Amino acid sequence: MARIKIDHTKCTGCRHCEIACSLNHVAGVANPRRARIRVFREGTTYFPTIAGPFVDAACTSKNDLIIGDQTYNMCLICRASCPEKPFFIEAETGIPLKCDFCGIPPSPSCVTWCNSGALELVED
Amino acid sequence: MYGWTGRCLRVNLTKNDFQLEEISQELMNKFLGGRGLGVKILYDEIDPTVDSLSPDNKLIFVSGPLVGTGAVTGASCNVITKSALSGTIACAKLRGHFGAELKYSGLDMIIVEGKAEFPVILSIMDDKIVIQPALEYWGRTTSETENMFKNSLSDKWAACDTYLLSIGSAGEKLVPLANVINDGFLSVGAAGIGAVMGSKNLKAIAVKGNHSVTVADGNRFVQVVTTLINKLNSASLTSQSMSSWGSAFLVGLCNQKGILPFKNFQRSSFEESKQIGTEALSSAFALRSRGCFACPIACIKKTDVNNPIFKGKGMAPTYLAIGALGLNCGITDLTDIGMANMICAEMGLDPIASGGTIATAMEFSEKGLLSKDSIKLDLRFGHGKDLIHALTLIATKKGHAIRIGQGAKAISEEYGHPELFMGVKNIPLAPFDPRAIQGMGLHFATSNYGPHHLYAYTFIDEVLNVHEKLEPWTIEGKPELVKRFQDITAVMDSLGLCNWSLMGLKFNSFVPMINSCLGTSYKAEDLLQTGERIWNLERLFNMRAGFNRSHDILPERFYNEHIADGPAKGQISKANEMLDDYYGFRGWDNKGQPSAKILKALELEEIYGEDKN
Ligand code: SF4
Ligand code: SF4
Ligand code: SF4
Repeated sequence: MARIKIDHTKCTGCRHCEIACSLNHVAGVANPRRARIRVFREGTTYFPTIAGPFVDAACTSKNDLIIGDQTYNMCLICRASCPEKPFFIEAETGIPLKCDFCGIPPSPSCVTWCNSGALELVED
Repeated sequence: MYGWTGRCLRVNLTKNDFQLEEISQELMNKFLGGRGLGVKILYDEIDPTVDSLSPDNKLIFVSGPLVGTGAVTGASCNVITKSALSGTIACAKLRGHFGAELKYSGLDMIIVEGKAEFPVILSIMDDKIVIQPALEYWGRTTSETENMFKNSLSDKWAACDTYLLSIGSAGEKLVPLANVINDGFLSVGAAGIGAVMGSKNLKAIAVKGNHSVTVADGNRFVQVVTTLINKLNSASLTSQSMSSWGSAFLVGLCNQKGILPFKNFQRSSFEESKQIGTEALSSAFALRSRGCFACPIACIKKTDVNNPIFKGKGMAPTYLAIGALGLNCGITDLTDIGMANMICAEMGLDPIASGGTIATAMEFSEKGLLSKDSIKLDLRFGHGKDLIHALTLIATKKGHAIRIGQGAKAISEEYGHPELFMGVKNIPLAPFDPRAIQGMGLHFATSNYGPHHLYAYTFIDEVLNVHEKLEPWTIEGKPELVKRFQDITAVMDSLGLCNWSLMGLKFNSFVPMINSCLGTSYKAEDLLQTGERIWNLERLFNMRAGFNRSHDILPERFYNEHIADGPAKGQISKANEMLDDYYGFRGWDNKGQPSAKILKALELEEIYGEDKN
């Protein structure tokens, strides 16, 4: 099965992936808020995050993520949108968005436009 | 309407109110947007002789139509006003994500007029426009301002999508060398703009929005952009050099060609360039790439300088910083240069203008024309600590640095040696010796925005030979080259594209992207003509502000002193010789005044009428 591998150490924060996703789902519409991938910035690091399923209740506990000597809020890379993290919801309609692995095989749109190597298509 | 949002926000800070306006289609066709539109509005709405720091001056923030659409390198937002440093028109290019977010907040342009009674922040968050008091922000560094604002939002996720543009203490204190900063990026060509923002008591602008930007032919646009990304990837300059080191890779190259100025342009070669070359840069800073919005090149390098004050926040120095803050001040220590660069970004100073000013003062002290007692500051070439100390004092307007903070031109006159000012139209030269690169020298002399290379990057052809193979020291073909690059840059700025992309792409290859995005059918020539229209309008603004042929001239040093040593030994500037030809290509008379004929051809004739009076 093909998967998208994310290497946040390579991500430049250019957000071209967001626009690729937006333009590929509604032709001619560029809007990061409609993308199924978002790039979150925390300090000097960028975390590209691809939308998973929508959950209507937030987690009851918080997790921390430790990379090197920094501690990050786990919600940053969580793929779900929830009442705590209202991302991946289309602003006008309120419909939750989820990655549908779009684009022309063998390359999803976000991977095609990501030039840094942060997003990569891998096959198992 | 594609690309453009068609909406403009007009804010009057004196009256503390604002209104939304439509932008006419005609204006957009004629001036494209971005820089072109901003220049047109400024030309129409202010008197060019107005005092830059008075409430009558206006500040225009405007994103080009390609910004936010996903067009490659479509990130740039322009800030247009009358400069407090030069008195000419000024146009800064913002990097990062502010420009795109402005579009997503449903606006192409913000026009700021008047002066607030006390410090304010203009906040445009999800269509809610508020002019909010910002007394607690006054005096804060730019990164503190960004963080404080984001922390003040109740929703921490909203903070992720919020982008700010702000001034540091230099702008607040009306230092003419002040710059504007967004997302921690120093903007390009912004000397003289920070102080205008400060004079309006406007500390920052915050934007966030949910609006979409629409593209005319989505499918074709996606294809074209994909092709351009691949092209940028196969060109070695954009895929390797710029991606690995940013513009700092030019340091070694410029040194080889004798273009790199040293000690206020007294010399243009430098033996120990290894100390500041790419290898030294990689080892002094842990480099990490950052890209502006939708940019596949990602030339911006982040760094962790081991300094307790600014740790982990800074950008690694670019060519500009290394040249202007470093070598031209005789400084070769990369950590000092990095630190100076960060002071500029945090306190809101322009690196070229401040570096050039300090280099001038250093030459004065070296020649014994300025005693330590009279200036109460140590300013010695090669002493990083002197530079850092002076920058901090200038930005906070403390002690004798108040005088230095007035700029290189002012101090060189005050201390009786105007010939030691290495600049044009009151702005210090970007760090390229015009004797060793003739085309750029001519551009420096004639530029509407003062001697800044990024308003006509002829270097691409004169040294890098990307599109054409030209020699840097010759003058053949240079007047046309300069005109072409000036016009191309005006178009690219107006659309919102970054000039660096020309290192990997020809201007013509952008045309399909522009047309599929905007639903237009421009040819390259049509766009270049628009660029020429913009350049001429800027020229007319400057002429009405009192600039003419006598200001299109480089400092004497470049005509009188041959380069003394190094690879460009014996070269001298021929910009004066080329000036008439350049005016000829532009259709200007020998005073540098655009003729009626060219203005008619550019559909600017109504302006010519006014101008005659
Ligand atoms: S694979 Fe397609 S749908 Fe999924 S995030 Fe990438 S562009 Fe969006
Ligand atoms: S396109 Fe790639 S480098 Fe750019 S933000 Fe997305 S994941 Fe990061
Ligand atoms: S090339 Fe550099 S400055 Fe230009 S858009 Fe890309 S990252 Fe920004």
